[in-house]
Amino acid sequence: MIRIQSLTFRYEDSKVDALHDINLTIPDGSFLGIIGPAGAGKTTIAQCISGIIPHAVRGDFYGSVVIDGLDSADTPLTDLSRLVGTVFQDVERQIIFPVVEDELLYGLENFGVPREKIEERMTFALTHTGITSLRHRTISSLSGGQRQKVAIASLIALQPKILILDEPTGELDPGSSRKIFALLQELNRTYGITVVVIEQKIMLLCEFAKRLAVMDQGRIIREGSVREVLGNISRLEEIGVNCPRVARFSSLLGEQIRQEISVCVNVEEAEREARRVMG
Amino acid sequence: MTDVFQYTPGDSVLHRMNPVTKIFLTFCICMAAFLTDHLSVLIFLLFLDLMLGVIAGIPRKAFSIFRGLAKISLFLFALQALFVRRGNPVFWIITDEGLRTAGTVVLRLLVVCLPFALILAVTQVSDIANSMVQVLHVPYAYAFTLALTIRFIPLFMEEMSGIMEAQAARGIEFDTKNILKKFGLLLPLCAPLLISSMRQTGATATAARVRGFSLRTADSGYKKYGFGLVDLCAAVLSIALIAGAAWIR
Ligand SMILES: Nc1ncnc2c1ncn2[C@@H]1O[C@H](COP(=O)(O)OP(=O)(O)OP(=O)(O)O)[C@@H](O)[C@H]1O
Ligand SMILES: [Mg+2]
Repeated sequence: MIRIQSLTFRYEDSKVDALHDINLTIPDGSFLGIIGPAGAGKTTIAQCISGIIPHAVRGDFYGSVVIDGLDSADTPLTDLSRLVGTVFQDVERQIIFPVVEDELLYGLENFGVPREKIEERMTFALTHTGITSLRHRTISSLSGGQRQKVAIASLIALQPKILILDEPTGELDPGSSRKIFALLQELNRTYGITVVVIEQKIMLLCEFAKRLAVMDQGRIIREGSVREVLGNISRLEEIGVNCPRVARFSSLLGEQIRQEISVCVNVEEAEREARRVMG
Repeated sequence: MTDVFQYTPGDSVLHRMNPVTKIFLTFCICMAAFLTDHLSVLIFLLFLDLMLGVIAGIPRKAFSIFRGLAKISLFLFALQALFVRRGNPVFWIITDEGLRTAGTVVLRLLVVCLPFALILAVTQVSDIANSMVQVLHVPYAYAFTLALTIRFIPLFMEEMSGIMEAQAARGIEFDTKNILKKFGLLLPLCAPLLISSMRQTGATATAARVRGFSLRTADSGYKKYGFGLVDLCAAVLSIALIAGAAWIR
């Protein structure tokens, strides 16, 4: 479980808080999507959960982040990393080695995964991200999207209890993005891995995430199930979050006919709702 | 030019050789080059370097590295030849001694630099780092720093050419033939480049930390680096080179 209490963080040399009084609890087995405009503090909160803040980034840190009973400020970064796997927003900086296979091996070797398990873990990560054929390629010969998959694979191979991904589909086409989310869902359902994913493509979050958190200006302004959060579309659009058209449609429809309409997250639901109220 | 330092996949004898042996071979070639003063021996070593490129299956790359180095060498050769005052004049202010010294220096430079570039072309940096830790028991932090440095050379160069293109688009003439002028144009770019690459290495170091950097020991490596017949042959050749160079002098 991740418990964030009264967390405030300000980067060194910055005049404003990047995170301001954050309170958030993420139970084991959650699939949480975090959304918000640029500069909202999404990357910062991800780094707080993975322990990179306060261990590797300087700034003023108040409040606490507790992961599985370990207070992140008092626990060495390496110990936190056993629990939390992080996929960085900037893949270029995340990838350490020039060849795909080495990149995957690195964490497996360091965390002492037994030799006989290593091959199995690598195969698992490569097949599930769909990059088996890239195993021996050099990173410099890969496209942005392929690099992103390598970064994701290198963390999946480690099978951490909690997986945090900072815009993991930023460079991916819609098809690959869906596959990555389907994979995250499988990891979440089958292995009980807690998934926290920062994502701009709200449709993907609607489809795969169980809960949503909306951030703006260093605060979490809404948190709840996907439907609860999408219930207040105008507020979301105000801060610049792009809402799915079906959700906007259902809320507009509700306003027009002055009737309670449950929030729709896909086209089929919207159709059903529309037929119901139109008679 | 940016791909010069990059790994070229392959299955040649040199690719399969233990990285430690490759480093030893490179080291011995350098030693031999410094032990000898004979132009003929240096030329032989240079030939050997290029042969290594052929054996590694990357003759084109080897020659392109050679060409790049040769350009710098030509400049050095001219400087040396002009400044050495000993010996008998050949023409104008150039002396035979000057030509000989210049030739030796330049050949030595080529002989020493080429194998390093070649080794990097046929060895993955992770293998260099891992084998140094496993076989030579170099502390991992040093080996990793070395690996990271090598890893960032191409990125650094990419960024450099990116900035140069951006500047060129604003009308700055980087393609000037005047070396001094070009140098003057490049100098102001160094600071921002250095800062940005330091920030990049910092982030990559964090990426390493969150994947258990501090837990790594000499036994962590999944790949084991054994020694085989090729390594024995290369070692014998390396020692023979040094012995030969010392004997001929
Ligand atoms: N290293 C840093 N030093 C100083 N300020 C920073 C640093 N990194 C981020 N910030 C500031 O902190 C705030 C939150 O940044 P953060 O990177 O968390 O936003 P984000 O929601 O991830 O945005 P994006 O969608 O662009 O990735 C921003 O105002 C940003 O300018
Ligand atoms: Mg971000």
